[in-house]
Amino acid sequence: MNDNFEPRIVGFMCNWCTYVAADMAGVARLKQPPNMTAIRMMCSGAVSPLYVISALKKGADGVFIGGCHIGDCHYQRGNHSTLKRIMIVKPLLEALGIDSRRVRLEWISASEGVKYAKVISEFVDQLKELGPCPLREA
Amino acid sequence: MEAQVRLRCKELLSEKKVAAIWGLREKDECAVPFLFQNPEEIDALTLSPKFPLSFTCRPSPETILSILQKKMPGKRIGVVARGCDERALIELAKSERVDLDFVEVIGFPCDQAQAEECACSRPFPQNPIGGNKVAGIPEEKAFQKLLALELKDRLKFWEAQLSKCIKCYGCRNACPMCFCKECRMEQSAYTEIGWLPPEFPLFQFVRFYHMSDHCIECGECEKACPMDIPLRKITKYLRSRMEELFDYHPGLDVKRKSPILTTVDEDPVKELPHEL
Repeated sequence: MNDNFEPRIVGFMCNWCTYVAADMAGVARLKQPPNMTAIRMMCSGAVSPLYVISALKKGADGVFIGGCHIGDCHYQRGNHSTLKRIMIVKPLLEALGIDSRRVRLEWISASEGVKYAKVISEFVDQLKELGPCPLREA
Repeated sequence: MEAQVRLRCKELLSEKKVAAIWGLREKDECAVPFLFQNPEEIDALTLSPKFPLSFTCRPSPETILSILQKKMPGKRIGVVARGCDERALIELAKSERVDLDFVEVIGFPCDQAQAEECACSRPFPQNPIGGNKVAGIPEEKAFQKLLALELKDRLKFWEAQLSKCIKCYGCRNACPMCFCKECRMEQSAYTEIGWLPPEFPLFQFVRFYHMSDHCIECGECEKACPMDIPLRKITKYLRSRMEELFDYHPGLDVKRKSPILTTVDEDPVKELPHEL
């Protein structure tokens, strides 16, 4: 595997928590890898599993989904759906032959900029280990 | 078995417990769906070959039973159902495609040969009117070999299998659970219109995902597939995962909502495992 491989991550972030945390991590100048392409969603519950697979197909090596902690959802129960969907998407990806570690779901609240930076660094290291996504079109 | 079912149907019709019976009629050595309204007609009722009775009438999201129920409001309709037909009815009732209050299920178990042909894990309805229940074929059999493969071999396998797809939409059309008015598999965001083979794996991923909490294991998708794509390897795997993760069996209990639609408080889950 290419040592200089830099994974591309598509991050679906909830407007109320994770996006704010990402913003905060930037403003606080926390060290974080530049591999993330952030897409702001109104709720992590708006992330369809089809977005996840489309992202993997269309050039992402990993997909990150960030939402509010369970119980903190701005829309009461949006992140409940996210959790359950991702629980099904992961085995489905495995069955199709795609490593489920390429999809990561994390609850990061608006004040957890430090956690955001940590999670992203971890995720990038993980993806470097896994290599490019086999679905990715050249 | 056939005699027993006929007897029961005649009883129900002549006692006016049901207005009509939706079943299969023998015609020119074939079985065709038919609405029996007179007890005399029942003699032509047949059980095999297997044919799904609760199908969706594409492109409308109606099912044949919901159309019948609209035409005969307030009247009960009897349905001669195998295990899979009954599960389909229950699952359709959850999505409000059928009103189960006006349906009388006349259930009968499948025989061993039929169960093996369908690789069915539950070849009997909940309350059969008679006959012997035969044991189902365990679901693991379908996907054991797939799971023994390494990830990259699995991907190769599916790339080869799914690139055979000719986009006939047979799997979707045959499926009693596919009732979306606008199908994602027809939308240009997920598939290139007029292009073959469909994008791997986006096209089938839609259906696999949608079936995860709906699949009632009738096997019609695989039977309909002209390219013999082993679709049920995945649907069966997802069914077993649903059982493991949420203890959920589609089509068994009309009161149990799909876990995807409920909150974590209503339907608790273990913390999301990152290493699945």
